[in-house]
Amino acid sequence: MVLTPGARTPWRFGVLFSRSGVTAAVETTQLNATILAIESVNAEGGIRGRPIEPVIYDPASNPKQFHVLAERLLGKDRVRLLFGCYMSSTRKAVLPVVEAYRGLLLYPTLYEGFEYSPNCIYTGAAPNQNSLPLARYLFGRYGKRMLFVGSNYVYPYESNRIMAELARQAGGSILDEIYVPLDAGPRDFAKAIREIGRLRPDVIFSTVVGRSTAVFYEAYRQAGFDPAHIPIASLTTSEAEVAEMTPQAARGHVTAAPFFDTLARPAAERFVATYRHRFGAGSAVTAAAEAAYFQVTLVAGAIERAGTDELDFVRAALGTLECDAPQGPVQIDPSNNHTYLWPRVAELDAQSRFRIVWDPGVRVRPDPYCVDQRWDGWPEQAWPGSLPLPTQVQ
Amino acid sequence: MAIEILRDLRGLRIEVMHPPDSEGVSLAEHLLRIGCVTSTVWPLPDELDVASDLVFVAVEHDGRDALRRLFACRDRGLPTVIAVVGYEDPSTLQLVLEIGAQGVVERPIRPFGLLTQLAVARSLWLRQQGAGRQVRRLERKLAGSRMVQRARLILMTRDGMSEEEAYQTIRRRAMSKRAGMEDAAADIVDAHKIVRVQTHGE
Repeated sequence: MVLTPGARTPWRFGVLFSRSGVTAAVETTQLNATILAIESVNAEGGIRGRPIEPVIYDPASNPKQFHVLAERLLGKDRVRLLFGCYMSSTRKAVLPVVEAYRGLLLYPTLYEGFEYSPNCIYTGAAPNQNSLPLARYLFGRYGKRMLFVGSNYVYPYESNRIMAELARQAGGSILDEIYVPLDAGPRDFAKAIREIGRLRPDVIFSTVVGRSTAVFYEAYRQAGFDPAHIPIASLTTSEAEVAEMTPQAARGHVTAAPFFDTLARPAAERFVATYRHRFGAGSAVTAAAEAAYFQVTLVAGAIERAGTDELDFVRAALGTLECDAPQGPVQIDPSNNHTYLWPRVAELDAQSRFRIVWDPGVRVRPDPYCVDQRWDGWPEQAWPGSLPLPTQVQ
Repeated sequence: MAIEILRDLRGLRIEVMHPPDSEGVSLAEHLLRIGCVTSTVWPLPDELDVASDLVFVAVEHDGRDALRRLFACRDRGLPTVIAVVGYEDPSTLQLVLEIGAQGVVERPIRPFGLLTQLAVARSLWLRQQGAGRQVRRLERKLAGSRMVQRARLILMTRDGMSEEEAYQTIRRRAMSKRAGMEDAAADIVDAHKIVRVQTHGE
């Protein structure tokens, strides 16, 4: 876009998050946070004096729709930057379009790794930033006999493979691996519940996503299991999924993520307060939303620095910036387009609030190809002193 | 097993034979990103580096002779080969097949798909290596038993031995020579040939 003196033509940002469908709850938090960040930048005068105008469509949790709407945004609406996607299947549907139009996708969601595109910036956790710390926490606190329950698509399969590899290195075992349909109902979890009762694992690793999460946790509660002994551990169960379950169903289970709405640092508290002021006092504020928020801030800073929203210039500028995100200072790693993040583990209390039980206080370099995925790759000083170090099998 | 292949890929020594343009650089960068030990060389070297596990080679028509020469030296065995092609015409395909590629990457080179190509090509190569070893072992065995058969036949027809006596004769000879059955049988067959030449030569 040509900058003419006095011109106030807005920078147009494409936004693709679902307002309906299986992952609407968490994607809505990402949409809201994107809008919040844009409004915040505009309140400060925009980017180089020009406001940001979001161009928003709802792909309804459907990968085909994501593809169609990405085409519309990049082809017809002529945006260059796309902020969106939660499920990996939707990112896969959008990326070829973004690559074809030489655009940039800002992807604010944890995922299974093993991907790189010059046209994508990944601001959610890669496996070494959530699976690895979660594994260390679980093996030390609960044990190493695991049972996997997941939704039936690529992300759970690959996350389970990674977790199984970590368990193997630690001398643990995988007792069973069960997949349920996306949008599973109570009957779909009957087998999983039966197996939990029969096998009595130390930990259930859940990669169930979206609104089936509450269904699973409720089924667990109905069966009468005790989370203090067999917790459900997850990377995806966030404040949004928790809002869909009863406090009794939520209590005692564990999630690993860089951000929780209870995080006690000034930037986090400001973010949560501003979000709730804008979208409602009881709103769920998720890690996925936090990533959606800081990625807008980062991109705005990059465009400010570069003077254009063209791919090469924005990407180059992004590699030079650091931003004080709610979770802590973050920056993009230009060698792989992923983000340095602050991993944490939290446990749900009796009021459905996430209490952070482990905060290593380290920022972890993203390693999406798991090049360094060794058990002992985790910095020693990050290990919580009160927990025994996991040892090899006796 | 899929997971074994992934483990084998980490630390794999890859040589990228590609012009040092932006595509070549981006290819090498992505291989590094995946966790492979990557080196680049251009123009095509005279010999393959014995330390390389896998080679990406740009298949260009103006270098076809050098390409053929490079991959002709098979005596020490070839590494895994992935061809990088800009065309699909039959003469390019011919080159790709001649150099024995286990995988192909088309231009424009994208990061997506490289990991899969690596895994599939390497897996294919490992199976080829295994099959090759198996074939050589079976050939030796087969040659051995053919030789033993011939020796037995000679002993049975010429010296009137039974099958079992003939077999034991060969076996005793093998033990006294401290050699294999095939060796001992070969002696008998060779000696018989010489005798026949002498008999018929006069």
